[in-house]
Amino acid sequence: MKIAVCIKRVPDMGARFKIGADGASIDETGLKFDMSDFDEWAVEAALQLAEKHAGSTVTVISLGPDSVQETLRKALAMGADAAVQLKAESVPAGGFAVAQALAAELKDGGYDLILFGRLAVDSAAGITGPMVAELLGLPCATALCKLDVQGTSATGERQIEGGVEQLAFPLPAVCTIDQGLVVQARYPSLKGIMAAKKKPLASKPAALGGVGVTITKMELPAERAAGRIVGEGADAVPELVRLLQTEAKVL
Amino acid sequence: MDDGDRPVVVSTGIAMTGQNVAFLLVLVVAVSFFSYSIQRALRTLRVGLPEQRLDAPGRRTWNLLTIGFAQSKILRERGAGVSHAAVFWGFLVLTAGTAEILLQGVWPGFGYEHLLPRPLWQLFMLSQEVFAVIVLAAVSWLLWRRLVAPPKRLQGEEIHSTEAVIILGVIAALMVTLFTTGAFEYVAREGVRATHFGWFRPIATALGGAFGALSLGTAETLRDVSWWAHALLVLGFLNFLPYGKHFHVVNSLINVWFSNTSGPGTVGAMKPMDLEAEVESFGASDVEQLTWKNLLDGYACTECGRCTAACPANITGKVLSPRKIVTDTRDRLREKAPYVVGELDVEGSAEAMRLAPGAQAVLDNRLLDNWITEAELWACTSCRACVQECPVSIDQLEIINELRRALVLNESRFPEEVLPTFESLERNGSPWAFSPADRAQWAEGLDIPTMAEKLERGERPEILFWVGCMGSFDDRAKKITVAFARILQAANVDFAILGQEETCHGDPARRLGNEYLYQVLAKGTIETLDRYEVKTIVTFCPHCFHQMGNEFPQLGGNYEVIHHSTYIERLLEANLVPLQTEHGKRLTMAYHDSCYLGRYNDVYDAPRETLRRALPVVNLVEPARTKSRGLCCGAGGGRMFIDEKEGKRINIERTEELVATGAETIAVACPFCMTMMVDGVAKLEADVNVLDISEVVAAQLDPAHERAPLVAGD
Amino acid sequence: MANVLVVAEARGGALKKVAFEATTAARTIADASGGQVHAVLVGAPGIAAEASKLGATGADVVHVCEHPALEQFDAEVLAATVAAAAGATAARAIVVGGTAMGQDIAPRVAAKLGVGVAADATEVTMDGDAIVIRHPMATGKVIATLAASGPVAVITVRPGALAVGTEARAGTVQSLAPALDPAASRVKVTKLTTGGGGKLDLAEAPVVVSGGRGLKAPENFKLVEELADAFGNAAVGATRAVTDDGWRPHSDQIGQTGRQVAPNLYVAVGISGAIQHVAGMRNSKTIVAINKDKDAPIFKVADYGIVGDVFEIVPKFTEMVKAARAQR
Repeated sequence: MKIAVCIKRVPDMGARFKIGADGASIDETGLKFDMSDFDEWAVEAALQLAEKHAGSTVTVISLGPDSVQETLRKALAMGADAAVQLKAESVPAGGFAVAQALAAELKDGGYDLILFGRLAVDSAAGITGPMVAELLGLPCATALCKLDVQGTSATGERQIEGGVEQLAFPLPAVCTIDQGLVVQARYPSLKGIMAAKKKPLASKPAALGGVGVTITKMELPAERAAGRIVGEGADAVPELVRLLQTEAKVL
Repeated sequence: MDDGDRPVVVSTGIAMTGQNVAFLLVLVVAVSFFSYSIQRALRTLRVGLPEQRLDAPGRRTWNLLTIGFAQSKILRERGAGVSHAAVFWGFLVLTAGTAEILLQGVWPGFGYEHLLPRPLWQLFMLSQEVFAVIVLAAVSWLLWRRLVAPPKRLQGEEIHSTEAVIILGVIAALMVTLFTTGAFEYVAREGVRATHFGWFRPIATALGGAFGALSLGTAETLRDVSWWAHALLVLGFLNFLPYGKHFHVVNSLINVWFSNTSGPGTVGAMKPMDLEAEVESFGASDVEQLTWKNLLDGYACTECGRCTAACPANITGKVLSPRKIVTDTRDRLREKAPYVVGELDVEGSAEAMRLAPGAQAVLDNRLLDNWITEAELWACTSCRACVQECPVSIDQLEIINELRRALVLNESRFPEEVLPTFESLERNGSPWAFSPADRAQWAEGLDIPTMAEKLERGERPEILFWVGCMGSFDDRAKKITVAFARILQAANVDFAILGQEETCHGDPARRLGNEYLYQVLAKGTIETLDRYEVKTIVTFCPHCFHQMGNEFPQLGGNYEVIHHSTYIERLLEANLVPLQTEHGKRLTMAYHDSCYLGRYNDVYDAPRETLRRALPVVNLVEPARTKSRGLCCGAGGGRMFIDEKEGKRINIERTEELVATGAETIAVACPFCMTMMVDGVAKLEADVNVLDISEVVAAQLDPAHERAPLVAGD
Repeated sequence: MANVLVVAEARGGALKKVAFEATTAARTIADASGGQVHAVLVGAPGIAAEASKLGATGADVVHVCEHPALEQFDAEVLAATVAAAAGATAARAIVVGGTAMGQDIAPRVAAKLGVGVAADATEVTMDGDAIVIRHPMATGKVIATLAASGPVAVITVRPGALAVGTEARAGTVQSLAPALDPAASRVKVTKLTTGGGGKLDLAEAPVVVSGGRGLKAPENFKLVEELADAFGNAAVGATRAVTDDGWRPHSDQIGQTGRQVAPNLYVAVGISGAIQHVAGMRNSKTIVAINKDKDAPIFKVADYGIVGDVFEIVPKFTEMVKAARAQR
């Protein structure tokens, strides 16, 4: 089986973000970057499928500046066989431009399965996977928390509001992977990191499509107010409940 | 025995009798076989990796004299220690006698009396009997202990008790035959009675008197029987050694000389590792990836179990036993070596053996998993109590660390809850997922300069206050940070912090086997420190203290690193800290030793001295296990980041012990110990305070002399 | 004249609340440019009965597409039908509720139309000709403003984020044929299991109530469970000290070596707030701490704290939460 996984390099979400000078981007100084969590699970899912189906290969693809090579190397260290960087100065918003570039790369790859994370944790949009499926004319199953491949077809499960859908679809197909499909992504061993240095990593210009959606502004949410002691003993409970209702609005 | 075999009692010629010839044959066979056995065993050490252990011969010889000959570590335990030392010293003295006896077997005329002035010879003879009595007494006590009232460490499946009893029995028999040979000689050889017996051979003389009724012939025969029994026991004992745990007798002194556990080198530093090396695997998953010295440890071990008795994991019911780590290594070596180095006397036997039936099973096995399990390895707190206790300087911890490295670096196997720690270290430069931007939040409003600010002003501070991740992010530990900063300010110390530029140096990753991640972080830290040309670092975290002071040199980072206990003590000694003169009521305090401060760095007195200087009226009490024997809090070796699902929690065991001292305050000098003790006290619902030593001192600061009124970081 | 198409999601024969929220957003856009709101309502025969509700929240026209095979969600049919309807109604914008279904079809519709998606809007406004949305990204740590220009704008709206309008329109029902034969679609929903209602997962529960050593004994955890029950949507967590002691299963542990959670409300009962625990819950939106020790580090991360005996405070809190919820 030939599997492709599209992955994104994102800043660590534990960081305290600052807005860039243009007012419409995140200031990247001091930020640490890594593969988006959902994409890590997608790589893990691909590797597990490849282990189950002998003779499989896993190719990882990422769009962005040269720094994404580090993220691709991580996927190679985890066990992917080959990597492709679609070189672009930045990742445009709206998904469509990226989807076109990815689709152009994937079109003639002969992949049986193309995996995405359900969403990238930074832009939190979750739109690229289904767009690529549409552009390639492939069936698409999104937000899978279970995926099994049997020959040329697959079954999966996804959580929807208030229930679980079971899906069946033929291959080749595009799937997006949600939390829960794998327990956790494997941690690259030093052995894997060494091996990754020798694996192929191709870099080619990304054929970005039109944009249509632009980020015009970025801002930080209102600072959280300093914590306070509401009072002592059970007598303070009514005040706490009032604050939760009127101030924090969580009750 | 041949009747005509009348021995020449005192002769100066080499007139050999039939008995002598027979013994010569026996001796040649015995010595040959012994040397064969030794070579065979030592050859198996070639399975291991090479390692240079010939440096600092002076230090090594000092270790041999103190730990080896003076038995300093053996004597850490009273009863068994004194008994063992008695047997050991007895053996040393009696070996001279044994040599005489063996020589007499082939050269009947030989005797020390011809070589030594008579008074000296008499003293020598006396020493033989005195030590024989001492050895007999010690062996009897040891036998009684092993058979009747064995301590916990000598119970259990892994113990080769039968072997121990046989060995003790043989030693006892050696002593008895030594006496009987003398006694029968007293009866049989009237001619020398006057010169060769008397006050300097009290027991042989007295026993001989008691046997006076025997006929000369009978006495002669019994003397020969005794002599042969003694000589054969000696030779048999010698040849039995290489095949059991008592190989220890041969190897322990050698092991002490080669060991690094008490120096030379930096005690407790993990082995350097070249990540660029073209190797197939990292760390050790089998005996071939350990060094010959790790393997020699196995042959030096006599399974006394002092390591296991001191192990906090073992004490609280975890699967780890440091003794088993060593004996498993030895037994796996014995199992595998023939397939790797072959048999001594058969050329190319290793190749042939690998083709034999059953060989594959042995080759498929490995030390990791088949002998030592993952659970054992992750139970270790790296507290070094096992290493500290070992009387023959075995390094159990090095084997554990090498096996952990193999697990993580080759196979990415570690407890799943460790993953967030590794990921946070990679992404946030701290084991916990806090934003690096929040690192210096504690310092807000405290007027504490960063190195960058100092540099901008063209200043270079005297010391760098390394805060550490606990001190930066844990809300309890931040109080220690503030307390220490206040002391520095009150003493007008010219210091700065790195602020947001500080990141974890990777020690937790290293302890958890992730050498790769460690080196990335450590090299980054060294780069930062060198950029500011830092020379002196003070920190209150013993783990930072150890890592930066003792392990950074491996990566080219050389700084003077001082723990805050030592630093505060120096400030107090120099009278630089303005303290209140009122001390209030007399406090009872128990100080809990941090492993990385104590056993790793030998700092035991500075924290205690600091407390005494700050509170002259303090009543310092010591828990049952203290100083170099102190029990770990349970957080070391990366255990802070691993759940403790098995057995009793180590911090509870330790807190109980500390609370039992009756102390109102438990003083600590490590933020990890702090978090473990605070939890222990909460669990026990004990009315006990837990304070860092710097908090004790800061509370005594004279407000009139503080440079600026400071508010704790809240 | 710019029309707006809204995809009205129905499940089990009934419209979902997000359909009205999307319709209201569509109304805002249409009003700014004097266009009409066209809703697409897809489902099994009989779904037309729901159409009038869309009129009541602002739809001018409701295109009802009924087909027996559309009882189950079919992304391919739906995407093709919406794209076709967008063309037919000359829609300037397409608004979709950002549910599992909406997240699935919106990008496909956009790809068919050759445009991007402005996803997960918590606010929708018009700025001249452009549709402008606000979208929290990076786990809510950054708020982005996105402008969708181009021939057609496809936006998804976050469920529950937008108000439901009351401005009624005609809601004229027109019938719409599926643009693709459902038999031809390749991804089939073979089974839908609804409800389940099982234990709320810690990572997903909007409210988490956790207990620590301060509860003193395992049986006292019922206080925490009762408080969680009172919230109705809360999961129960615990500290490592408590799970290591076996009071609670290890799967309940919140912290560095356990689960990492970020609920809207986190209630820490009898928890001191050591770093091990804080590392797993500090990203919670609102944190309440109840602890007897006023110096406990947990108060440093808490938004609201009460100092005192948990055995008095928690039952009172439970009672008042119940009462507050009953009022609603």
